[in-house]
Amino acid sequence: MIERTPALNLLTHAVLLSGLLILLVPLYLTFVAATQTLQQINQIPPSLLPGDQLLSNLVEAWTRSDFGQKFLNTMILAAGVVVGKIAIAAITAFGIVFFNHRLRMLVFWLIFITLMLPLEVRIVPTYAVAANVLSPFQTILDVTGVSWLVGQLSGIELALEWNLLNSYTGLILPLVATATGTFLYRQFFLTIPDELVEAAQMDGAGPLRFLWEVLIPLSRTNIAALATIMFVYSWNQYLWPLLIITDPSYGVVAVELSRLVPDSNTTGGGIPNWHLAMAGTLIVMIPPVLVVVAMQRWFVRGLINTDK
Amino acid sequence: MKLSTIAAAAGILALSGGAASAEPIKFEYWYGLSGHLGSVVQKTCERFNASQDAFEIVCVGQEGYAQAVQNTIAAFRAGKHPTIVQAYDAGTADLMMSGEFYPVQKMMADYKIAIDWKNYFPGIANYYASSKGELFSMPFNSSTAVMYYNIDQLKAAGVSEPPATWEGFEASLKKLKAGGQACPFAYAPSSWVDLEQFSMAHNVPIASNNNGYDGLDSKLLFNTTLHVKHMENLKRWKDEGLLQIRTSQGGLNARDSFAQGECSYYFGSIASHATVNAVAKKGLHWDVAMLPVYKGVERHNTVVGGASLWVLSKKSDDEYRGAAAYLAFLATPESERFWSENTGYIPVTRTGFKKLMDEGFYSAPPYKGREVAIESLTYTEPGPLTRGIRLGGFIQIRKEWMNEIETAFAGKKTVQAALDTAVERGNAALAKFARLYKGKALP
Amino acid sequence: MRRAYFKNNWVAAALVAPQLLIIFVFFYWPTAQALYWAFTLEQPWGGGNEWVGLDNFRSIVEDEHYWNSVGVSIVFALCATALSMGMALTLALAADRQLRGYRAYRVGMIWPYAVAAPAVGLAFRFIFNPSAGLMSHLNAIWPGVWDPILDGNHALAMVIVAGAWKQVAYNFIFFLAGLQSIPRSLVEATAMDGAGVLRRMIDLQLPLLAPTVFFLLVINITDSFTDSFGIVDTMTAGGPARATDLMVFKIYEDGFRGLDYSGAAAQSIILMLLVMVLTFFQFRYVERRIHYS
Repeated sequence: MIERTPALNLLTHAVLLSGLLILLVPLYLTFVAATQTLQQINQIPPSLLPGDQLLSNLVEAWTRSDFGQKFLNTMILAAGVVVGKIAIAAITAFGIVFFNHRLRMLVFWLIFITLMLPLEVRIVPTYAVAANVLSPFQTILDVTGVSWLVGQLSGIELALEWNLLNSYTGLILPLVATATGTFLYRQFFLTIPDELVEAAQMDGAGPLRFLWEVLIPLSRTNIAALATIMFVYSWNQYLWPLLIITDPSYGVVAVELSRLVPDSNTTGGGIPNWHLAMAGTLIVMIPPVLVVVAMQRWFVRGLINTDK
Repeated sequence: MKLSTIAAAAGILALSGGAASAEPIKFEYWYGLSGHLGSVVQKTCERFNASQDAFEIVCVGQEGYAQAVQNTIAAFRAGKHPTIVQAYDAGTADLMMSGEFYPVQKMMADYKIAIDWKNYFPGIANYYASSKGELFSMPFNSSTAVMYYNIDQLKAAGVSEPPATWEGFEASLKKLKAGGQACPFAYAPSSWVDLEQFSMAHNVPIASNNNGYDGLDSKLLFNTTLHVKHMENLKRWKDEGLLQIRTSQGGLNARDSFAQGECSYYFGSIASHATVNAVAKKGLHWDVAMLPVYKGVERHNTVVGGASLWVLSKKSDDEYRGAAAYLAFLATPESERFWSENTGYIPVTRTGFKKLMDEGFYSAPPYKGREVAIESLTYTEPGPLTRGIRLGGFIQIRKEWMNEIETAFAGKKTVQAALDTAVERGNAALAKFARLYKGKALP
Repeated sequence: MRRAYFKNNWVAAALVAPQLLIIFVFFYWPTAQALYWAFTLEQPWGGGNEWVGLDNFRSIVEDEHYWNSVGVSIVFALCATALSMGMALTLALAADRQLRGYRAYRVGMIWPYAVAAPAVGLAFRFIFNPSAGLMSHLNAIWPGVWDPILDGNHALAMVIVAGAWKQVAYNFIFFLAGLQSIPRSLVEATAMDGAGVLRRMIDLQLPLLAPTVFFLLVINITDSFTDSFGIVDTMTAGGPARATDLMVFKIYEDGFRGLDYSGAAAQSIILMLLVMVLTFFQFRYVERRIHYS
């Protein structure tokens, strides 16, 4: 940035270039695979040069998987997760950092622990919850005798049910429950100087005004980073949608993509349509890449403009 | 006048009311096959829906057998499960012990659909039947292990016929190697081929209690049978360069190595027959043959792999009716033909097979050679040791076998020690399974 | 330490309530049920269970293969984190110099983050295939030098590289953002004081980057324990001979593929405790040294 010595510049370029190559080689191979035919892709050794089947593979992958509807669904899913995550994480972190109550750390740890148990491990009971989101409350009411009481008094039997399977809500809500965003915001909020808070208090601003008028604008870059990450994360979500979506009109792209990938686990033989799978990968990759490219320009520029 | 008009109107109303209420009854079927095979399953569903309008089947692919079973369990626990699920061999023991299924033989009888159960090949039916012979699940995609060989490469090495014995197989490997073939045999360790199919063909037990059929207190026995000698031979062949290990994890698996003409032999499911056809290098002359047996051992029938269709409990009468109709549809000769044409699987009924034979289906490529699988499955009538495998925790047992064999092949243990460990850990899994279902008996 | 707070604690409660509600319903409730299974013998199809107390834990802890998977997981976490954070930091420092073509580099580096797991697995298989990939050329010169099919260490190295690859882009975004948030005026002042590039890095940039480093450290390590299932599943299936049998993979294999819900639940508890302890240590000993303002 300051010095412009040629040697240092050369070194910098060398580092960046080799880093770029290392990072992009797998993507190049994906691209090459997407351009080949079934025969070519199963050859030994695999060809490193692109073939000419790109367009036909893309078209075939698109039609086989009916990506149109799935793209829309995944867009809705990703948008929902991004908005939900940003909003919830911001207010929660705010509540943890800027108020001095004894339960602060407990709340933070309660939220943080959710990072430590992967979904794969708790997927079976989570499904039961998604099938009836109100079941925890039903059980609590049953166990504490409240539902019995209500039944005695009014003759109404409490049977709470809200089925989230095959719905956008069911796809979005569980993914909003993770802790990364809250942790990120917490780290950022901890760097806010006391003077800002005191100044706002002297101006007579309550906590919510402070949040909305001061903190959120300052957090722009964090919001951008978080939005990018959550978009990509939810776009590539596979395990949860596979389980709760059985209606094809609610399908998402990651599940559809894995349908294209040949299954090597059966005792039988699927035709290894790797070229279609890789073409599908390229298609599926486009929105997150676009988002990443667009957002990273914005949040870095935003960073440079704010001088603390 | 007025009355008859009203009557006519009422009649029309009744008819249209009737037509409106003839909404097809929907029911769900979750299957595990994916990729191309999965799309053929979808087609069978579409064919069923097109053939009648009383029922509509909704088929959902689950990306793998294990995933299908898992997701079905999750759904079952929440009361949202499908009516039919495609469950694979290793996943059936738990389902069987839970009792949460509607045996298909009983279901068809209850809904008065006539199926000739004797028509099913015994080698297939017995795997899915109770100890009394009543079929629990509907055989669907059945396959067995066969030997794939490269005709040209064998001929060039002076081997004119595919070997019928392991001794002959070893001799052919040596000839191929001497003739300059770098990879005579593409080998991928597989418990299904090397342990299960092998033991069936040689009529040696995998576990006590007739491979688990007779009780839950079974113990594994494969570290004491001919299987040990076989694995030791395989290890020796690896050390002598007569075979190369080719797995998916390593990049090019055994099937693709064979299809590219790199290796002269590979062992796999007959279901890969269509795949090899599709990906084979141009000009590859290949065929399949039955698994070899050791000299002096009388060959017996092999058993099926693949999966079968189970009907789960806690569904409505209408859904069961629909399921019965779908299963009956699959059992028709036309459906069997469709399935055999589009995949490498073999027909499961005698008449289905005979029909295809008579039509000359198996006399020309690309289907020629698949009848070998039927021959292997029906070589003898299934005996107590060749009925199939009914062991709990079988997925773990397969995994233990695989881990130990990998260790042995890496030279870290002898084959006998590896198999001993696999048996010991497998028995722990069996004991855990027995404890899990304490007080229950195998149906 | 912070001195300025807002007073209204009810507002705070209202602010944290939504997230707490969601995680109660979608995390704690199902997890409690899953963890209950750890103390029973649970039948997969739900037919019933038998309380066995700590038996499941005992059999896991006595199993040498379990300790193998714990060891493998720790090695994986440390190596993948070190590799990906080191590489990301180097690249971010280089990119921060904003030489010509900087924007292109920035975009290119972030791309890998958008790629779905199956594609990552396949692409790396092509690279690491001992007989047909890029590495096969090495094997042509020195036969057998690269053998992930039978050599556990090679397989683990392969999985580490694949795992780190995906994380580099993620870490890079944060490092670059963090570096770029250091005001130019500060950097220029330090430069005018005569500090060279290296000195500036050590004295100025790294300390100011510390909160980001801490955040990424915690996330990377936690993710390598909990998020690494996909990589192992597509590349090595835990082999050869359990060399890449990460804890989370083992849980999934034993529990859900193998239908041993109780064993999987017990293993999950141990995994969670391990990650909690690791995180706690990081918060206690590392966060102490970070100055936030």
